[in-house]
Amino acid sequence: MAVKKRMKDFTLMEKIYLPSIVAGLGITLQNMFKPKYTMEYPEVKFMPSGHYRGRPVLVQEEDGGERCVACGLCSRVCPALAIDIQAAETEKEKERYPERFEINMLRCIFCGLCEEVCPEEAIVMSKEYEIAFTNRQDAIYGKDKLLTPIADLQERIEFLRGNK
Amino acid sequence: MGKFILDGQEIGFKPGQTIIEAAKEVGVEIPHFCWHPSLSVSGNCRVCLVEVEKMPKLAIACATQASEGMVVHTESTRALSARQAVMEFLLINHPLDCPICDEAGECKLQDYTFSHSVGESRFTEEKQHKEKRVPLGPHVMFDGDRCISCSRCIRFCDEIAGESELTFVNRGDRVTIQTFPGKELKNPYSLCVTDICPVGALTNRDFRFKARVWDMSNTASVCPGCARGCNIDVWVRSNEILRLTPRQNDEVNSYWMCDEGRLNTWKHVNAGDRVDCPHIRRDEGLSKATWDEIYSKASAELHSFSSGEIAFIGSATSTVEDNHLLSKLASHLHCKNIDFPRHIVPGSGDKILRREDKTPNAAGALAAGISPVKDGLGFEEIMVAIKSHKIKALVVVEEDIAAMDEKYVSALKQLQLLVVLASNFNATTELAHIVIPAATWTEKNGVFINFEGRAQRIRPAVATEQMDRSLDGFSMSRLDKFGTKFDRWGNYKKYDARPAWRIFLDLGHLLGLKAKFELAEDVWEDFTKHSPGFHGITYDDLGETGLTVKKELHKV
Amino acid sequence: MESLIIAGIALVKVLILANIILLTVSYLVYFERKISAWAQSRVGPNRVGYAGLLQPFADVFKLLLKEDIVPDQANKPIHTLAPFLALFVAFTTYAVIPWGPDVTIFGRVIELSVVPNINAGILYVLALTSIGVYAITLSGWSSGSKYSLLGGVRASAQMISYEISMGFSVAGVLIFSQSLLPSEIVKSQSGLMWNAFLQPIGFITFVTAAFAETNRLPFDLPEAEPELVGGFHTEYSSMKFAAFFLAEYANMMIASALIVTLYLGGWQVPYLEKLGLSAGWEAIIQVAAFFTKLVFLMFFFIWVRWSIPRFRYDQLMDIGWKVMFPLALLNVIWAAVLAMLIK
Ligand code: SF4
Ligand code: SF4
Ligand code: SF4
Ligand code: SF4
Ligand code: FES
Repeated sequence: MAVKKRMKDFTLMEKIYLPSIVAGLGITLQNMFKPKYTMEYPEVKFMPSGHYRGRPVLVQEEDGGERCVACGLCSRVCPALAIDIQAAETEKEKERYPERFEINMLRCIFCGLCEEVCPEEAIVMSKEYEIAFTNRQDAIYGKDKLLTPIADLQERIEFLRGNK
Repeated sequence: MGKFILDGQEIGFKPGQTIIEAAKEVGVEIPHFCWHPSLSVSGNCRVCLVEVEKMPKLAIACATQASEGMVVHTESTRALSARQAVMEFLLINHPLDCPICDEAGECKLQDYTFSHSVGESRFTEEKQHKEKRVPLGPHVMFDGDRCISCSRCIRFCDEIAGESELTFVNRGDRVTIQTFPGKELKNPYSLCVTDICPVGALTNRDFRFKARVWDMSNTASVCPGCARGCNIDVWVRSNEILRLTPRQNDEVNSYWMCDEGRLNTWKHVNAGDRVDCPHIRRDEGLSKATWDEIYSKASAELHSFSSGEIAFIGSATSTVEDNHLLSKLASHLHCKNIDFPRHIVPGSGDKILRREDKTPNAAGALAAGISPVKDGLGFEEIMVAIKSHKIKALVVVEEDIAAMDEKYVSALKQLQLLVVLASNFNATTELAHIVIPAATWTEKNGVFINFEGRAQRIRPAVATEQMDRSLDGFSMSRLDKFGTKFDRWGNYKKYDARPAWRIFLDLGHLLGLKAKFELAEDVWEDFTKHSPGFHGITYDDLGETGLTVKKELHKV
Repeated sequence: MESLIIAGIALVKVLILANIILLTVSYLVYFERKISAWAQSRVGPNRVGYAGLLQPFADVFKLLLKEDIVPDQANKPIHTLAPFLALFVAFTTYAVIPWGPDVTIFGRVIELSVVPNINAGILYVLALTSIGVYAITLSGWSSGSKYSLLGGVRASAQMISYEISMGFSVAGVLIFSQSLLPSEIVKSQSGLMWNAFLQPIGFITFVTAAFAETNRLPFDLPEAEPELVGGFHTEYSSMKFAAFFLAEYANMMIASALIVTLYLGGWQVPYLEKLGLSAGWEAIIQVAAFFTKLVFLMFFFIWVRWSIPRFRYDQLMDIGWKVMFPLALLNVIWAAVLAMLIK
């Protein structure tokens, strides 16, 4: 069998191998005394900044209504088919509103495409990452859970605008 | 037939044809808003501008007649820039309404903006605002902002519906559509304007905001509203019918359908009073039963009557297949009393599409043999015979006889056995001893034969317990394809109803009928074998638009 | 009467030692997790008890409460026997390790080692560790799983290969001590005459071989999670898994104790006698010295595990036969020459 020559052969020091072991041990030893990065959840909570993509929520205007016009674009773009919308007519100027707006959190992959496609800035990614449920039905978030006052979403909205 | 050159390719034209028509015939679509193949040419949108060599200015393809040796460019720099300019002008006052506009997804303006415009606007001034949400009539809503003043709707009313109801008012950028004073847009075909409006200015009030077009599946079918049999598409989302739209068929309905057919032929499919499983009358009234139960009960009871005591009522609203098996069953039982009630409404027809016969398949029912055999009794005679206790058992297919006339109610009450196939509970099922849930016209395969003898296919668009959307080859929307039973939109209501032909087949087996059919197609094949004029015609031959069969056979 | 007292003393020594081993081993697991965490800038277990100090008990309870799963294809008696064989080997080896000088209590000389005067002490250790291979090989073979089998085969090959360099390294030490008695070996390293300094090559080959014998990273090929899932103990759960776990850490402790005994002067503290302390204090300090050295070595074992990646199997064999074996031979010659020069 032909002996394959390495592109670069080891030098003697490298072949002895012990120096690199010692160097490696040195690095881990140093690390043992460095400050730790662990965040002790749940006592300490992770506070994401505006760029974080938590669960998508609907923007609730000051008057309490949703900003969404039920155009269905988020539902169309959603790669996981998580969004289900039933539109209906409203007396308001926007004419159209979602009578039912549901996101199936078991389907959602937090890609943020719904937020990106929304022409009304009506669905945005919140900072909320604590999403737990014990059955499939609870995983479907309706308007009651999705509507979030616009005041709470200011940081994300500014982040989005800064990006455009 | 002359020839001219279109984009370097020589194409032929018939004398008098315009460039756009000649191009369409060879499959080249020149952008157009105001031109419509069955309306007159108005030439006011200008998006169809093309460059014709030796002509000083660009010409509109919709109004310029083709002539020998003409050289036309649709994609030259001049033509393109003109088209882009026209798009920019059209969009000046057009609102950014797509998110709330029902037309989005099937909007010509959207499509052309995508394919033929520069993609941005130089217009910084305030847009012209007009009235939104104006009901023009009982069925049509108008949005002034979105109108691009193509005048298609006006021309439709004038030329097709024959009732001038709409007109332009004002000029320049203030121009808008209005009904004539004291008039409403309420001709029997008024909803067709929502189909031809190239934008979302005219919308169907019944369908408004119900669903996005891309969320629905559409199935080619035939309207069951009258003997014309207009070709239609059935639009379904989450197993629920949301609208019907006409489908082009130059032999039958051109591009149109009537409002009656569009709005009132399918509401019962999703209604709350659907018969959702077989029912048997017990002491306390109708109660649920299994299919096996009703089959064995119905066959046992039918068996106990002599053939002269039984009568069968077919239906002109059921398919040829349904009626074919009914007549097969009747002749197997040597029963001569077989007929179907007519639903002629005098004065309800017109010269456009609507017919006085309000059933889609009277010719088909006759062809399938739903008429009294020699010495047998016709519909009226059957009813009289029931009164006089000569006929003791009656099988009714999808006809609400009790609602047709007060006198029939008392007759039906005399029966010892009344088997009713029905999709919804009604006055007749109230009196029935056995109610068998029948699939509606949107839930089965089959053929309707219209008054001209044209056989046309209907196809299932709504899934039942027995029919699976993917396994039975339904058209499917994206939601249908990827939905699961854990998705609210995938976990939809399916009714436990079966097509009448299958019910008669199963019942017939218990009564000793030897026949084996798997699909409606097999039943149709059997029908064509026994019906002169239909020999060898398959479902494939009927295709999307149907086939006209020898006429003299089908006098209603 | 005399024999009863001897038996009693032996029993007390066994009890003390067994408890020390069990406690140390469970806390070794805890420190393994803590040190790995520190090396990776993490905090490590800190939920059970103060700073997670009760974590070992939680672990044990968890393991006890788990379902014991025996694969269908397993050879059941052997599958059950193997982990306890491993445990047995690990624990009995301690018998000959001297953890302090002879002390006099109530006028009686007591050797701080369970079975002090076996004159084949070191051979006994070598013999027992070889039996340990059986535990692993049998468990791998009896599990009826290809991963386990591969793990077991690897273990036997690896252990046989390294046993040789280990044996030859020890030979160097024996040349100096002229005895197989562990206590004699310790005594031969008085002052700074530690074997580690006299025969550095032998020290390195022995330590390396010790890593290989205990299946610790970088030589944990019998377990090699990425390729073999869990190697020989893939098919073990509950108590049996715990037994393997315990044996691994007990082995690590023996290896450390052996290194201390053979190379680091055992319980000897250089020049301690010059301080002129009372015999009692001297003994205490010497016992403490033994355990300090032991603890440092165990830390070293853990430290290495979280610093150096696993070898490839062919590299492992290469090193064993082509590097370690010649080096160990070289060391024997070196030791012999040195011994002649000194004596
Ligand atoms: S894209 Fe925005 S406006 Fe449209 S339906 Fe989704 S949330 Fe509502
Ligand atoms: S974040 Fe992505 S997956 Fe989740 S709802 Fe929005 S589009 Fe769908
Ligand atoms: S008419 Fe077409 S372009 Fe205009 S808002 Fe509606 S969908 Fe958009
Ligand atoms: S309403 Fe529609 S069809 Fe009528 S003119 Fe306006 S754009 Fe054309
Ligand atoms: S289509 Fe020719 S001008 Fe409108």
